Amino acid sequence: MPKQVYDVIVVGSGAGGGMAIKTLCEAGLKVCCINAGRRLDPAKDFRNHRKPWQMKFRGFGDPAKRSESVGYMDSEWVPGVWEHEIRYTTAPGTEWTWPRCWAVGGKTNFWGRSSARFGDIDFHAASLDGYDVDWPLTYAEIAPYYSRVERMIGVSSSVQNRPSNPDGEYLPPFNFRCLDHILQKGAEKIGVPYLHDRIAQLTVDHAGHPACHYCGACTTGCDTGSFFSTPWRFLPLAEATKNLELRTDALAKDILVDENGIANGVAYIDRKTRQEVEVFGRAVIVAATNVETARIWLNSKSRHWPTGIANSSGQLGRNLCDHLYGESAYGYLPQLLGQPSFPDSVGDNTIVWMPRWQNLRNPHEEKFIRGYSVYPGGGCGEYPWYATRAEGFGSSFKREVKRRYPTPVSFTIQAPTLRLDANFVDIDPEVKDAYGIPCARIHFQWDENVLKMWEHSKQVCADLLRAAGGVVEGSGNSPNVPGWSLHDTGTCRMGRDPMKFVTNAFGQAHDVPNLYACDASVFLNCTDKTTTISIMAFTLRSCEHLLEKFRRGDIKRA
Amino acid sequence: MAGQDLQRREMLRIMATAAAASKFPGFAKWAFICSHDSQDGHIRPESYQPQFFSTSEYALIERLTELIIPSDTTPGAKEAGVAEFVDFMVAHDTERQYPMRLGITWLNAHCERLLGKAFLALSGAQQVSVLEPLAHKAKHREGEEDGRKFFSAIKELTVMGFYTTEIGYKEIDNPALKFYAKSPACPHTDDPEHKHLPPPKW
Repeated sequence: MPKQVYDVIVVGSGAGGGMAIKTLCEAGLKVCCINAGRRLDPAKDFRNHRKPWQMKFRGFGDPAKRSESVGYMDSEWVPGVWEHEIRYTTAPGTEWTWPRCWAVGGKTNFWGRSSARFGDIDFHAASLDGYDVDWPLTYAEIAPYYSRVERMIGVSSSVQNRPSNPDGEYLPPFNFRCLDHILQKGAEKIGVPYLHDRIAQLTVDHAGHPACHYCGACTTGCDTGSFFSTPWRFLPLAEATKNLELRTDALAKDILVDENGIANGVAYIDRKTRQEVEVFGRAVIVAATNVETARIWLNSKSRHWPTGIANSSGQLGRNLCDHLYGESAYGYLPQLLGQPSFPDSVGDNTIVWMPRWQNLRNPHEEKFIRGYSVYPGGGCGEYPWYATRAEGFGSSFKREVKRRYPTPVSFTIQAPTLRLDANFVDIDPEVKDAYGIPCARIHFQWDENVLKMWEHSKQVCADLLRAAGGVVEGSGNSPNVPGWSLHDTGTCRMGRDPMKFVTNAFGQAHDVPNLYACDASVFLNCTDKTTTISIMAFTLRSCEHLLEKFRRGDIKRA
Repeated sequence: MAGQDLQRREMLRIMATAAAASKFPGFAKWAFICSHDSQDGHIRPESYQPQFFSTSEYALIERLTELIIPSDTTPGAKEAGVAEFVDFMVAHDTERQYPMRLGITWLNAHCERLLGKAFLALSGAQQVSVLEPLAHKAKHREGEEDGRKFFSAIKELTVMGFYTTEIGYKEIDNPALKFYAKSPACPHTDDPEHKHLPPPKW
């Protein structure tokens, strides 16, 4: 039997893989997408408005399995969707919490939906403050791609006229809640921004999907596709072209190369049969997440690529950056004590944000370089977490819990680390996963700069809360463990110089012209913004670059 | 109940607008699940057989949960079956088991020493007087650290068990009991600092 050859093999189906299969299939290419996990059924695998009393452990999870949980999203609401079987390791001294959703659609099934654009302040940060290097492109070059992605997926926000967080093409924003008006006044008093977040969640019907019904269960899967996820949006469009073959439970092992060291396929493990399978294509897009893409490329060793495919620069797996997350302040708003409850968390999202305001005019104004953002939140939630902080018991305690219900507020920092030589991903020389594939090993520490941001944010958020008439009760003792944000970047950084960068400005490997990385691995660092919408915008640009190669005949159709 | 009608109408409206999504896989099942009435989610047997606690221990746990969240003008831990939840969670949580037994023993011994009787044999007022120093920082007494730990563990489990029931949701008027047609908006936009709100409802 002659071996089947596809035009493009896409590894992964999250934000990058989803955008890739949609774009390439709609352009008429034959695509095989291999995905490490199974296909979810929203009716079975999502929360579907279940309430805690319909759950065996009321949503708190089986205490006997607590140690196996990989983070807050790995919950009783959506059992069996977070990866537990495939291992990764950490170097001595590294802590890394890494919740991985490898089902079809990846983390887009359960993501936080915040969708701000990167701007020139991010792309040219090195020119401004002298640290590291600039990105190999300008905002003007990527802006049209952001616009197209926003029109495709629907992003709700407002026009804010701040070049440091450029405006996009938005649906009407989520409304401010009582707590937002109060905190915004406090923010005004201390001179920091308090604005609508950019959320890939529909406030009006869009792209064939209904507006949000504000059930508050977003991070346990949306029933109606009212926020962007690959399975609700891009996968049906790709499948409708009949150009897509989706292989599930297909764990990518390495990239196959021809006699010239050019990519010609992917070897994967079929997790159901435990057999190794090879699938061939004219081009390969790896969109497996920052760490996994590095793992696959580093494990792709051959005569041509003795240290991993496309690694002539030696930079593959290096430059690991992450977002520091943590609770900069928490407390309550006494103004709202005893007021009737209000649906504050029905969007279950970051309705508002405080986009980077530091070092905007002068890159060295603060004790740290670059800048961070903050997501405020609070109000009447699904569960009164603050209750045990109220003293006493009996009717007075019960009344106090009720009185405080609308009042709690908290501030979450999102701060980018700087590129350091010490932070990287390599292959563990000893440990293999359940299928015999050598594991990714993570080396990571917070840097001094990001820890200064953390300290700074604790002061600012406490000041803001007090200025708003609120009571500060505390802050997180330390930031969350690295990896927690799921916004890590950098293992296949893009840049002009093939000696210093793994990929070019299109995510195309310098060494292997038919191999692309389409995830956050190509980003130079995290910025103060989330990564998902940028993954989609950059992937769209990469795919059109690849399509042009097919059109010109640089890469022949299969 | 008017609120329920509103919720049902709202659900129908949402399902009508959601019809656009019906061509996507899983939608029919989703609509089916949504139409389920969640009111009957928590059915409790007439008499409960504790899984972890002995009968006398369970009676003590039951009493403590009722003292922490009492039935007063609204239903409390008793109606919400909180003691059953506590027993269930402790039965599944080996880390909590020994401290629970230790705490129960401590509390009874403590009551014997102070008042000559086990906790359950005390009057309601006496029981409260024993718990007060455990529950309030200002009233803490030396030598009662084990008791304070036990009380805060029971209080935590009681809160967990109460506010995750429909009774608990209703107690705080949890907005997740309803669906909303539009992005809910603050009703006091003429008073952004919220300095002139109506007096507290409770």
